[in-house]
Amino acid sequence: MKIFLNKSLIAWYFILPVLFIHLFVIAIPSISSLALSLTDFRGMGKLNYIGFENFIELFDDRYFIKAVYHNVIWTIAFLTIPVFVALVCAYLLTGIKRGQLFFRLAFFFPYMLASVVNCQIWKYLFSPIYGIGTVLSGFGLDLFTTSPFTTKEYSLFAVAFVDGWHFWGFLVVIYLTGMYQVDSSLYEAADIEGASKYQKFRYITLPMIRPVLVFTIMIITIWSIPVFDYVFILTKGGPAYSSEVIGTYMYSQAFERFNVGYSSAIGTMMFFYVLIIVGLFGILRRLGWEV
Amino acid sequence: MEVASFRKKELISNYVILGIFAIVSLAPILVLIFNAFKPAVEFGTNPIGLPNNITFQNFPDAWIQGEYSKIFFNSFKLVLGTLILCISVSSLAGFSLAKLNPKGSNLVAIYLLVGISIPAQMFLLPLFLLWKNLGLLNTHIGLIIIYSALNAPFATFLIRSYMIRLPDELFDAAKIDGANILQQFFRVAIPLSWPVLLTSALVVGLAVWNEFLFALTFVQDEELKPISTILFAFSWRFINNQALVSAASIMMVAPVVILFLLFQKKFISGLTSGGVKG
Amino acid sequence: MKKIIDSLLVLSFIFTSSAVFAKTQISWWMEARAERDPIVMEKLVNAYNSSQDEIELVIEFTAQEVLGEKLRTALISGGGPDIVRAAGPSFIKEYQMAGMLENLDSYADQYGWNDKIVPWAYNSGVFDGSLYALPLTYESMIMLYNKTLFAENGWGVPTTLEELENVASKAKAMDMNVYSYGSTGWQPTHEHLVGIYLNNYAGPENVYKALIGEKKWTDPVFVEAIELLRKHMVDEGYWSGSLENYYAIDWDQFHDAFSARDAAMMTIGTWTFQRTEMNFSSIDDDWGWAPLPSLSSNSPNQNFMLAIGTSIGLNPNSKNKDAAASMLNWLFSNKDVVINLSNSLEFAEFNLPLYYEDSDFPTDVNPKIKDFLSTFGKVTGEGNYGYCTWAFWPAEPGVHIWKDMEVVWAGDISVADYMADHQKLWDKARDKGTTLSIPDR
Repeated sequence: MKIFLNKSLIAWYFILPVLFIHLFVIAIPSISSLALSLTDFRGMGKLNYIGFENFIELFDDRYFIKAVYHNVIWTIAFLTIPVFVALVCAYLLTGIKRGQLFFRLAFFFPYMLASVVNCQIWKYLFSPIYGIGTVLSGFGLDLFTTSPFTTKEYSLFAVAFVDGWHFWGFLVVIYLTGMYQVDSSLYEAADIEGASKYQKFRYITLPMIRPVLVFTIMIITIWSIPVFDYVFILTKGGPAYSSEVIGTYMYSQAFERFNVGYSSAIGTMMFFYVLIIVGLFGILRRLGWEV
Repeated sequence: MEVASFRKKELISNYVILGIFAIVSLAPILVLIFNAFKPAVEFGTNPIGLPNNITFQNFPDAWIQGEYSKIFFNSFKLVLGTLILCISVSSLAGFSLAKLNPKGSNLVAIYLLVGISIPAQMFLLPLFLLWKNLGLLNTHIGLIIIYSALNAPFATFLIRSYMIRLPDELFDAAKIDGANILQQFFRVAIPLSWPVLLTSALVVGLAVWNEFLFALTFVQDEELKPISTILFAFSWRFINNQALVSAASIMMVAPVVILFLLFQKKFISGLTSGGVKG
Repeated sequence: MKKIIDSLLVLSFIFTSSAVFAKTQISWWMEARAERDPIVMEKLVNAYNSSQDEIELVIEFTAQEVLGEKLRTALISGGGPDIVRAAGPSFIKEYQMAGMLENLDSYADQYGWNDKIVPWAYNSGVFDGSLYALPLTYESMIMLYNKTLFAENGWGVPTTLEELENVASKAKAMDMNVYSYGSTGWQPTHEHLVGIYLNNYAGPENVYKALIGEKKWTDPVFVEAIELLRKHMVDEGYWSGSLENYYAIDWDQFHDAFSARDAAMMTIGTWTFQRTEMNFSSIDDDWGWAPLPSLSSNSPNQNFMLAIGTSIGLNPNSKNKDAAASMLNWLFSNKDVVINLSNSLEFAEFNLPLYYEDSDFPTDVNPKIKDFLSTFGKVTGEGNYGYCTWAFWPAEPGVHIWKDMEVVWAGDISVADYMADHQKLWDKARDKGTTLSIPDR
C-alpha cells in the first residue's frame, strides 16, 4: 500500500487523467494515421504498402516546400507583432482605472466571434466592388482597389493580418492574468525611486510574467504549425499557392485529390518539425528558462 | 484596478495608445452590427456601410429559423461539460508539472506540446471509427470527451505557467500543518490560482462554443446540434441573406460577451481586494 | 388503475411504432441550397411519398462544404444513407474503386434504365463494364449576353474569336467588363474557363484524343489554347476587369454585376438559369444565351460541352437497396415529375438526361430554356459536343487543371510547363486505373 503513496507516484496520479484522455482521443488515432504515410491510400478502399515513395515525392514537391516556408514566415510574424502589441496594451491597462472593462472587451471581441464571421467581415471590407477600396478611391486614394486576399504578393500577409487581428486580444487576456502575480509594493518602491514607465516594465513586470510570456511564445510557435481555418476560409491557399500553408496543403491533398497516403506523409513531416521545436524549448529549459 | 501606478501625465498617453488599438479591434465589427439591421434587399448593394433602412426583423427571423432556443441549450451543455472535465484534469496535471515535478514529467510536457500541434485532419477518421465502435457518435458526452482532449494540453500549460510562480513557502507551511498533497492542491493551489482557472475556462469555453468541424462530423442528429453548426448551415440555407447571418452571429456572441464581462469584473474587483500577491 | 394505463401506453406504443415502421425508409443526403430545397421537398419528396405507401423517402440537407467529407466518413464506417450522391463522375469513380457503390446491373436490366437514359450520360456511371451510378443532372457551359444592351449598340452575338475580340473592345470602350465572372466561394470555377478554351480552341476531336491517350496534353494545340486563355484573363482582364477582381467576386456579385450592365456577357454553366431569370425579372433589360464562340479553325463548329453535375448510386451497406432502386426507377421513368421539378428550378438542377419530346414540355416552360434544351439536343446529336473537365477528368489531374491554372496566371510557370505537369498526372492516373469512361466519338 505504502508504495502507491510514494510522493513521485502521487504526482503521476495527478497527470494520468490528462494523459489518458489525450492518448485515447488524439494520439492513438493519429499514430494509426501516420502509418498511412507508407501507403497509397486514397481515403477508402484497399491500400498498398509503397515504402518511402510518398516522402521521396514530398522532397521534390515545390508547393510543399513553399507551404513550409510560408509557415515559417507565419510563425515569425505571430511571434513578433501580436506579442509586442499585446504586452504593451496589457501593461498600459494595468495602469489605468477608468475604462478597464471597456478596453478588455474591445481587445477581446474579435476573438469571441467565430472564424467564419470574422473572415466574412474582412472579405466585405476588401471587396473590390463595395469595400474600403471604393470608399478611399472616392477621396482620390488608390489604396485597396484590388483585394489583398487575391493579389499574390500580399495574400499571405493579408490573411495573417486578419488572423492576428482576431488573436492578439487573447494574448492581452493571458498577459493580464500573469500581471496579477506582480506585487504592487514593488511598483510603489520603484515609484519612490523615480523609475520610468519603461523601467518598471523592464525590471518588474517582465521578469515576473516571464513564465506566462514564455508560455505564449511556446503556444504561438506550436499553434502556428497546424494553422488552417483563416487561410482556408479567406483564400484556400491561393492565388497560385501564394498563401498555402502546410495545413491547407494537407487538406487539399487528402480531400480534393484523394491522396490520403501522401497527406499523411505531410503530417509525419509536420510531426518531426514539431519535435525539433519542442527540442529547442528543451534547450531553453536547460538554460534556466521556466518553459 | 491599478497595479503599476502611473503618474498623471503618463495616463493621457496610456489612453491614447489603448484607444487607437480599441478602434482597430472594434471598427471592423461595426460592419457586422450594421448588417444585422439591414433588410435583406439592401444588403446586396450596401454590404459594409450604415443601414439606410433599419429593421429589427432579422433577429426574430434568425431565432426561429435557426431554432436558437434548442441549439443554445445544446451548446451550453457542451461548454459546461467540457469545462468540468477539461479544467479539472488540466489543473491536476498543471499543478503536478509546476510543483511536484515527478521524474519523467518532462516527457509528458513534450508529449502534450506535440499533441497540440496535430491537425484535426490527421485523426478525424480513425477517431470517428473508434467513436462509432464505442457508441459515442451522436452523443454530447462523446463530443465533450473530444473537446476536453483537444483543449487540455493548452489549459494544462497555461495553469502550470501560473502555478510555477506560487511561492513554495505556502506549500511548505501547509505541509507542516499536516496537509497531504491532495489537500495542498485543494487548499493552497486552487484558491490562489483562480485568475488562471477563470482565464482557461474562458478560452476553453469559447473554443467549444465556436467549434464546428467535430460537431458537424460527430453529431448527425438535428436535435443535438450546437450553435456553431447552425451558423454554418445558415450561410448555405439562406445564401442570399447575409443580413440574417449577421443577426445570427450577434446572437451567438452575445452570451459570450456577457460571461466575459462578468469574469473580467471579478478580475478587476479581485485585485483591489487583495487578490494574490507573490 | 395504474396497470390499465400502463398497458394502454404499451399498446399505443406498439400501435404507433408499427405504423411508423410499416413503411421502408430510404435516406438521401443532399447539399443544402436555400432557394432550391423547398421545391425539392414539395416536388420530389412529397410527390414520391404520396405516389405509393410502401416506401418513404427522407432527404437530409447538409452544408455543401462538409457533405463530401461527412458522406465518405460515414461510408467507410459502414453506415451512411441508402442513396450515395457525388458531384459528378470523378468522385463516383473514387467511391466505386473503394467498393462503396452497389453494382446496379441487375436493377438496370430489371427496369430497363439503358433505354431510358441518353447513352453518353448513362455511360458516365459505367465502370469496368458495369453500371454503378445514374446521372442526376446534365449541364453545359454557355454564354449569356445582355440582349437589350447588344440591340441598343447593334452588336452581334460573337461566334468566332475575331467577333469576340471585337465586341470585347467595344464593351471596354464603354467602360464595361467583357464577362462577369468570379471564383470566390468556389475555387474550381477556373476549370469552367479552361474547359471552354480547350474545347473551343483545340477542338473536341483533339480533347477526345487526349482523353483516351492518343494525344499528349503537351501538344502545341493545347498549349496555344491555354496561352489564349492566359492572354484574355491576365493581359486583357476579360473577366470582371482583372485577374484579382475575378478572384475576389462571388456568385451573387457577378450575377448582380451582369444584370447591372457592369459587364456585357457572362461565361457560365446552365445552372445559372434560375438565378439569371430571377435577377432580370425586376429590371427592363433582357438576357439571352448563346453557344460559346469558336476560338480557332481547329474547332470550326460551335459545340456544347457535356457534363454530369451530380451522380447518384446505392450504398452497399444499405438494407433497403431494392426500395431505393425502385425509388430511382420511379424518378427516371416519370418524365412529367422530372420536368415539373426541373422546370421549377429553371432546369438548373434535376435536369435528367432522358429522351424528351417537345410535347413533354408544358407551356409554362421558359421559352429561352426550352430553346436551349432543344438546341442542345440538336447540336450534340450532330456530333458537336465537347468535354467538361469535371465530368471526364480523373481526380488528380482534375484538381491540377484549375488549381495550378492560378500559377500560370500568376506568371510563375510557363503554359508549356503547366501542360507538362498535367500530362504527368494523366500518366499517373492511367497507371493507377483512375481514368473515367469516355464514350466513343
